[in-house]
Amino acid sequence: MSQVKTNKKFKWALDFNQKNRTTTTELPSPPGYSASANASYTESSKDTDSNLLLIKKLWDVALGPLKQVPMNLFIMYMAGNSISIFPIMMVGMLIVRPVKALFATSSTFKMVEGTQATGQKFVYFIGNIVNILLALYKCQSMGLLPTHSSDWLAFEEPQTRVEHIGGGMSLI
Amino acid sequence: MGLLSIHIKPNFLGLLKCLNKLNWFIVFFSLINLSVCIYEDQIGKFDWRQTYVGRIKFSQFDTVSTAKKIIVATEENVLAALNLKTGQVVWRHVFESASTGNIQLLHVTEKVVTVTGSNPYLVRGWDSSTGVLLWEWSLTLQNEEQADFSEFWVQNNMLVHMLPVFGSHVEVSMYNLLTGQNRGATSKLPATWTNDGCVLSAPYYTCISGGVGSQQLLSLDVTSNAVQLLSRPISEYVNVNTYDGGLRPLDSNNVIPAFTLDDRKIVLIKNNQFEILKTEVVDPSASVALVDTANGQVVVQAWIDENEGFTVRAHAAGSGAEVPELRMSELGLRAGAVELAAATCSRPRDLLVCRLLVTGDDDSLHLMQQGGRILWSREEALANVVAVEFVELPVSDLDAAIESEFDQKEAAKMYSSIWAAFTRRLQTQFQQLQTLIQGLQKADGEPDEAPPALVRDYFGLHKIIVLVTDVGKIFGMDNLSGALLWQYYEPSLDTENVLVFTRRTARYPPHTAYVTIVGKHEESGNGLIISINPITGELIGEKLMHLDVQLLQCALLHRPDNDKLYALILLDKDENVQILPGSAAPLVENMYMYVAEKNTARVQGYALMYDGKALSAVRTWLVHLGGGSPARIVVSARKPAAERVHSPGRVLPDRSVLYKYVNPNLVLFVTEGPDPLHKDVVVATCVDAVSGAVIASQVHRRARALPLAVHTEHYLAYLYYNDKHRRTEIATLELYEGASRWLAAGAAFSSHAGRRAPGVERQAYILAATPAAAATTVTEKSLTDKHVILALASGALVEIPWGYLEARRGGLAEDGSVVAAQPAPPELMLGADASLNYNRSLARPARIHAAPAGLESTSLVLATGLDLFYTRVAPSKTFDLLKDDFDYYLITIVLAALILATYSTKYFASRKILKMAWK
Repeated sequence: MSQVKTNKKFKWALDFNQKNRTTTTELPSPPGYSASANASYTESSKDTDSNLLLIKKLWDVALGPLKQVPMNLFIMYMAGNSISIFPIMMVGMLIVRPVKALFATSSTFKMVEGTQATGQKFVYFIGNIVNILLALYKCQSMGLLPTHSSDWLAFEEPQTRVEHIGGGMSLI
Repeated sequence: MGLLSIHIKPNFLGLLKCLNKLNWFIVFFSLINLSVCIYEDQIGKFDWRQTYVGRIKFSQFDTVSTAKKIIVATEENVLAALNLKTGQVVWRHVFESASTGNIQLLHVTEKVVTVTGSNPYLVRGWDSSTGVLLWEWSLTLQNEEQADFSEFWVQNNMLVHMLPVFGSHVEVSMYNLLTGQNRGATSKLPATWTNDGCVLSAPYYTCISGGVGSQQLLSLDVTSNAVQLLSRPISEYVNVNTYDGGLRPLDSNNVIPAFTLDDRKIVLIKNNQFEILKTEVVDPSASVALVDTANGQVVVQAWIDENEGFTVRAHAAGSGAEVPELRMSELGLRAGAVELAAATCSRPRDLLVCRLLVTGDDDSLHLMQQGGRILWSREEALANVVAVEFVELPVSDLDAAIESEFDQKEAAKMYSSIWAAFTRRLQTQFQQLQTLIQGLQKADGEPDEAPPALVRDYFGLHKIIVLVTDVGKIFGMDNLSGALLWQYYEPSLDTENVLVFTRRTARYPPHTAYVTIVGKHEESGNGLIISINPITGELIGEKLMHLDVQLLQCALLHRPDNDKLYALILLDKDENVQILPGSAAPLVENMYMYVAEKNTARVQGYALMYDGKALSAVRTWLVHLGGGSPARIVVSARKPAAERVHSPGRVLPDRSVLYKYVNPNLVLFVTEGPDPLHKDVVVATCVDAVSGAVIASQVHRRARALPLAVHTEHYLAYLYYNDKHRRTEIATLELYEGASRWLAAGAAFSSHAGRRAPGVERQAYILAATPAAAATTVTEKSLTDKHVILALASGALVEIPWGYLEARRGGLAEDGSVVAAQPAPPELMLGADASLNYNRSLARPARIHAAPAGLESTSLVLATGLDLFYTRVAPSKTFDLLKDDFDYYLITIVLAALILATYSTKYFASRKILKMAWK
C-alpha cells in the first residue's frame, strides 16, 4: 500500500519548484501561420458576411409587402363584393396591416443604417402603399367609399325660393 | 248530497257522450279565444273613429223594444238607431247618396218601416233591435212628373201613398205594408182647391185656398171612403189682413192631425171638425209638438229665447193650462233655431217624465230631460266637414320660461347681472323639480280623469284639429282623443270653397295662435272672414268680418310681420287687393297669385305690386287649359305651402343621383272636355303659377277625370276613369332635372330664371277600386318616403307606398338599360294589410287631410266623411322612435345585472389573485 502510494506520488506529483526547464514556453508558429494576418482576416470576413446576410434579410423585409400583393389579390378575388362580415374583415385587415406597417417602418429598419437603407425603406413604403391602394380599390368595388355625389346628398342645403304663390280655384 | 252523487256517479260512457256533444262547442270556443290578430293590441291605440248620421229628417222613439232607442232617418240618407242613454249609434244603414237613397218616410212600431228613393220607391222593413232587413218591395209610379210631391204614411198596417195633382185632384193608393199588395184601384179624389202650400197631417190634407181676404181653410180625410170636405173661412181663426199664408204641420206629431196657422194658432182636427186650441204659439220661431201623455195630449213648444236660451213650455191641449213639470230653459244650448224632432212622455209614479229630442239649426242633436237637463248631444254637423286644419299646441308654461331664459336677446334684456341670471336658473330648476314631484305623486295615486293639458308634447304628436263644417259650425278637436274642445256657430257662413289659414302658430308665447277662415256670406255672397284662436275657440284679431265685396281668391303672405302674424291677401272680384292687417303691405314682394275658373278652364296669373302706398294686382299671364275647345277644370293640386324638400334627389342603383325638379310654384290642373273623336279627353297640365309656363302635360283619351289629385315634391298623381277599359286608373308624373343639378345646393329657385324643361316620367296603373278621396302623407322635412292615401268607396283607407306608383318603374332608361326599379304589374295590389282603418269601415269618405307631426317619420291623417277617422302613419317606419312595445323593464334589468356581474367578478378576481400570491 505504501509502495503504491509512493509510486502514485511519484507519478502524479506536480512539482512547482522545477528550475531546470527553460523559461520560454512559446512555441513557434506553424508554417504559413501569421497571427496578425489571421486575426485581421477573420475579423473582416465575419463582418462582411453578417452584413450581407442582414442586407439580404432586410431586402426580404422590404420586399415583403410587394410579395404579398398576389396573395392579397387572390384573397380579394375570393372575398367577393358582397357586404358581409368576412369580406369586411378581410378588407379591414388589408387596410389595417399596411397602415400599421407604414407606421412601424422606422422600428423595422432601426437595427441597421447601411448604404441601402433608404432604398429598402423606399421599396417597403411603396409596397405598403400598393397594398393600401389595392385595399382601397377593393373598398371602391364594394361600394364602401363615399365617392359619389349620392353619398353627400344628405348634407346638402335644401332649395329656397324667390317667388311665392297663392291662389286657387275662383271662389265666386 | 245523495241526489248530487247520483248525477256525479263515475259513469265514463256518459261522460264521453257528454263530451262528444260538447265537442263542437269546445272547438268553437277555443277558436274564438285563440284567434288573435296581428297588432291586435294596437287597435284604437293610435286611431279613433267617430260615427255620425247627419242632420235629422225624421226621428221617433222606439219605446216598444226592451233596449230603448231612438230611430232616426237623416238628410244624409242614413237610417240609424241611437242609444237612448248615451246617444251612440246602435246600428246604422247608409243608403245611396243620390236621390235613390232619399228617405221619404220613417214609421216605427215593433218594426221600422222606411220608404226610400224617388220613383221607384223602395219600402223596407227593419228589425228595430238589430237593424236587419226584414222585407222589401218596390213601388213605381206611372206619373213621373208629379211624383216629387208624393206623401207617404202608414195607417192600420197599410202604406198610404198620396199624390196631389195641384188644382185638379188627389190620388190615393193603399198597399199592404208587408207585401206591397194593392187593396184595389187608386182612388182619385177631386180637389180643385189644392196648391203647393198644402200640408199633410195624416190622414188629413189641408190647404188654404181662395182669393186674398176670402181665403178658406180646407181639409180632407183622404183615406175615408166617403169624401168629406171640411171647409171654414180663415177669418174665423186669424186676422185676414195680417195673414200671410203661413200653414205648417206640427214638428213632431203622431197623435191627432194638427197644424199651426199663421205661426200663431194651433188647429186640431177632431171628429171631422176644426178645433182651435186655447194655447197660442208663444214665439213665432217656436217648434210645436203634440205629445200624448197619460192624461191627455200636451202641446210642447220649444224655441231659443234671446235671454233665457233654449226654452220649453207645455200646455194641456184640452184646457190650455200650462204643465209646470215641462217648463225648462237651458242657457248652454245655443243653436240658432231649434226644432222638436221627437218627444215621448211617460208617467211613472204620478210624475210626468218627458224626453225631448231637439235638433238645432247647427245640425246638433240633443236629448233633453225634465228640468232642461241635456242627457247627451251629438254634433251631426261633423258628418259634413268641408275644411280641416291641424294646429300646433303651445308649449307649457315651464317650457316657455326655459325657452325665454335661453333666448339670447331676451336674456340680454332682462338679466343685466350674473346674479339675476343665477337666481332665475335656480327658480326654473326648482319649478322643474316641483313638476317632477307632482308627476310622481300622480303616478302613485289613482289615475286622474282630467284630460291632459293642452300643451305641446315632446314629439309634436298632440295637435288641435280645426274642422269647418258645411252648416257653418267650426269645431276645435283634440287629435289624440277626438274630443271636441270648443265650437263656434256662424249661421251666415256659406262654406262653399271655404279656405282655412293658420296665420300664427302657438310658438310665439305672448301672441296666441291665429287661424282665419275665409268663406262667403250666405245671402250676399260677399267675403266673410272669421279669425279664431284655435286653442280656445275665441274670436281674435279681425273677429267676424263682413267684407262688402265678393272675393275672387285669397292667399297667405310668405313673410310674417313683427307680431309673427302672416298677413292675409284678399283679391276681390274687381281685382283690387286688400291685405289684413294693412300694416303688412310693405312686406309684399315677389308675391304672385293665380285664379282658375272651373267652368271655362281659364287660369289667370297676377303679380302683386306695392308702390309705396297701395297694393295692386297686375295681370301677368293667362292660360286657356281647354286649348280652344270647351273644357272644365275638375281638380287642381298645389304643393303644401310650407313644404321645403330636404331630399334634393333620388339615388339610383348605380349610386348616381337623379335630381328632382322641385318647383315650388308648380300647380297641377286636371281638365276634362268633350272631343269629337274620343268622347271625353282628360288633360293634366302642370303650370308654373309665377310665369305661366306649361311645364308638362299629359292627355288621356276616352276618359273621365275624377276630382282626385295629389301633388308633392316632384310627384304628381291624379285619378281618372278609363272609359275604354271601364276601370279607374291612377296616372303618375315625376319631374326630374337629370343627373346633374341646375342650381347649386341651397340656391334659391326662381321660376323666371329657368329656361330648361324638366324630364318627365309618366306611368298609369289600374286601380281595382273606387276611390273617393286622395292625399299624400306630409312630414316635417320631406325626408321620409311618401305614401299616397286613398279612401275607397268600400270604406277602406288604403296606404300605397309611392314606390308602387313610381313612374320610373319598368321603363327603359335613355341608354336602353332597364331602370332598376321594382318591376311594374299594371294593376295595383291593394292588400288588406295596406288598410289603415283595419275593420273600421268608413261610411262615405269624402276628404283626407294629412299633417306633419314633430317627428320626421310620422304623419297625422284625418279622413272625413260621414265618419271621422284619425290615425297616424309612418311611411318609412318609425325610424326615429322606439317601438311602442319596447321593453324598458327588460333592458333596465339586463343592464343592472350586467353592471352587478362586472363588479362582483372584479371583486372575486382580486380575491383569487391575492390567494394565489400567498401560495
